[in-house]
Amino acid sequence: MASDQDLVVETVRDVLAGHEPFALTADTAWDAGLWADLADAGLTGVGLPEEAGGSGGELADAVAVVRTLASGAGAVPVAEQLLVAGPAVLAAGLDLPDPAEPLTLAVAGAVTAAPSDDGDGPGRWTLTGTATDVAWAGVARSVAVLAAAPAGIEGAVLALVDARGLATSDARNLAGEPRGSLVLAGAPASGALLTAEQAGVVRARYALARAVQLGAALEQVLAWTVQYAGERQQFGRPIGKFQSVQMQLAQMAGEVTAVSALVDAAVHVLERDEDVVLAAAAAKVRAGAAVEVVARLAHQVHGAIGFTQEYRLHHLTRRLWSWRDEAGSELTWSKVLGAGLLSRGGDELWPALTRVV
Amino acid sequence: MSSSLTLAPAPSSQAAEEVRAQVREFLAAELAAGSFSTHVDTWLSGVDPAFSRKLGERGWLGMTWPREYGGHERTAMERYAVTEELLAAGAPVAAHWIADRQSGPNLLRYGTETQRKEILPRIAAGECYFVIGMSEPDSGSDLASIRTRAVRNGDGDFVVNGAKVWTSNAHHSHYAIVLVRTGPPGEGPRGKHQGLTQLLVDLSLPGITINPIRILDGGHHFNEVVFDDAVVPGDMLLGEEGAGWHQVTAELAFERSGPERFLSTYPLLAEFGRRVADSGDAAQLATLGRLSSRLLALRQLSLRIAAALDRGELPDIPAALVKDVGTTFEADVAEEVRKVVEVPVSLDSPDPLGRALAEAQLHAPGYTLRGGTNEILRGIVARGLGLR
Ligand SMILES: Cc1cc2nc3c(=O)[nH]c(=O)nc-3n(C[C@H](O)[C@H](O)[C@H](O)COP(=O)(O)OP(=O)(O)OC[C@H]3O[C@@H](n4cnc5c(N)ncnc54)[C@H](O)[C@@H]3O)c2cc1C
Repeated sequence: MASDQDLVVETVRDVLAGHEPFALTADTAWDAGLWADLADAGLTGVGLPEEAGGSGGELADAVAVVRTLASGAGAVPVAEQLLVAGPAVLAAGLDLPDPAEPLTLAVAGAVTAAPSDDGDGPGRWTLTGTATDVAWAGVARSVAVLAAAPAGIEGAVLALVDARGLATSDARNLAGEPRGSLVLAGAPASGALLTAEQAGVVRARYALARAVQLGAALEQVLAWTVQYAGERQQFGRPIGKFQSVQMQLAQMAGEVTAVSALVDAAVHVLERDEDVVLAAAAAKVRAGAAVEVVARLAHQVHGAIGFTQEYRLHHLTRRLWSWRDEAGSELTWSKVLGAGLLSRGGDELWPALTRVV
Repeated sequence: MSSSLTLAPAPSSQAAEEVRAQVREFLAAELAAGSFSTHVDTWLSGVDPAFSRKLGERGWLGMTWPREYGGHERTAMERYAVTEELLAAGAPVAAHWIADRQSGPNLLRYGTETQRKEILPRIAAGECYFVIGMSEPDSGSDLASIRTRAVRNGDGDFVVNGAKVWTSNAHHSHYAIVLVRTGPPGEGPRGKHQGLTQLLVDLSLPGITINPIRILDGGHHFNEVVFDDAVVPGDMLLGEEGAGWHQVTAELAFERSGPERFLSTYPLLAEFGRRVADSGDAAQLATLGRLSSRLLALRQLSLRIAAALDRGELPDIPAALVKDVGTTFEADVAEEVRKVVEVPVSLDSPDPLGRALAEAQLHAPGYTLRGGTNEILRGIVARGLGLR
């Protein structure tokens, strides 16, 4: 990581130090205290321009914040806010909500948006339908809803709704993070029409954000496991001295290193403002595929200790198991990637592969 | 993450993209002219000296070496692009492969001025081929246990006795770099690393017999090379007498990270891509996407290592890791594709996908063995993780 980001990482680590990850329950759906401390330090607006109310900084800084919180299992919607909803709202020409209040994104093809005024560009819309699997539903103060455009119009509508007062169902992912539904019954919103391509980029950014989180959590799980293997003793020596355990750790390292390189490369594509859809798809699929190997072997090496709620490992492995299915599953994105690579014909696969990242 | 595994991103290289485009154009013309046909694993099996000479004429061999030795002083990134294009096309590159990738750089580092002046320009011209003489019937993973011996005679020449096996392409090649025991092992567990030496051996010398060993598809690529009082001139010592172990391990670090460690079965994936483009089948599309994401990650890792080599670093641990993950991928390509297609799999199948699957399957056991087995590589990675 470039040294510019070291300071950001250090600041986030300092904040995290006062907040041990905890098991999420229906009563504690998120870490409000961590969020408040991050917001006080301006970290919930990193990478969003100051003119728009953000804290400024580069995409790489925002990625650094997201990575650090992901590896610390911080139960806060930073990835959604800094990498997806915030930039999408700004790209659509909408007003960014106060970054001190959590903002999330809902990809909601079953929600339709109807214009409630006749202005061009950003205008007023009415949203109808149910948005399912919404990250941080019930926690986020505002939601950027990627809704279906009115009948007969191509593309999608990105609409910003105030989440207070919306009916919310209480579902959670495997790590206990809120993933409920939002019922939008004629909810008023500011919004803008996006082309199908622009909507595709929003979805790709979401996938890339999850890939960034997956990558960081995979690295942390490897680091924890290596550390544990060096400390835990059986048969009179650290288990990491046994060849079969070394093989498992090396296999984990192979997966993690491959993910890190590809996620990093995909982030660079976004930084360079190039077409990010296939890069994000590849990163999400690759990161998702690593989860099976890394989480399985991490639990195996940790023995029964890692199977308990008291021990920290599950804070990340349960997130890994969930995140790989969110923001578009591996199946979804592998089809997008496959189709994208063949878009110029079956003979053009190799040239396409050398262009993705 | 352990710093020994983290690699800085490769800088984008205009020069590499230019040479990539030139190679693509060249390959398209050669394919159109019928000068070669695409196969899987051609860096083992695709021997074609005429093709190698054409690459030499275009300056695509010895690319990174100094001009005074016939090289072209180009970057590792440019060489990477050329290598990748040739492998992706399944072009016949086996004749020169080891010489260009491994033996040439080895001579550059350890060779005498005479050895370099005489041999390197011929390698760069695509006219001189090398083999690796390391493995023996009883020494594979435990390479330092080799028994082939060289003893100096009264003239200072080396008299070599013993046998090497699995020497790819010895029957087509001019030289072998042979690891021999010239002195007694030292004390302790690492003592056997002492007393080893590399010799530059002209394979046409008297006392050397090359016997074919056929691989699973019937192809003759491997050999047994027997040395029976073969007299190797004293000035064909490579590097330092007794420093063979150090030289060999440095060489292996270089050989492990290139795109040949994940593209051996790419021609099969390319054929599969054509099939999927025609069928539009969802399961096939998803398989193509999954495999492609793995390939893209491997490219990133391998490119980063090439860039690190350009910077003068020796990323031996990431190189071992790429080879482990990459060669696993090579075999998985065949396995995943066969799960989602229905074609007769045979070397003489009328369907090119069936042929590619057959070649990939019959070559598959080799991917995770050659250049050091994946278990040995994982041991190296474990050391990088601080576990040993
Ligand atoms: C296609 C191909 C081309 C080759 N070309 C050449 C060539 O040109 N020149 C050359 O010199 N050699 C060549 N080789 C040989 C290759 O380098 C050896 O096959 C390799 O080093 C493994 O040695 P082995 O086959 O003797 O297996 P062994 O060393 O006998 O190993 C057998 C099994 O035991 C495992 N094993 C052994 N020791 C350990 C250990 N300490 N810890 C864990 N697992 C262990 C291995 O991983 C393997 O799975 C080639 C091999 C192939 C397949």
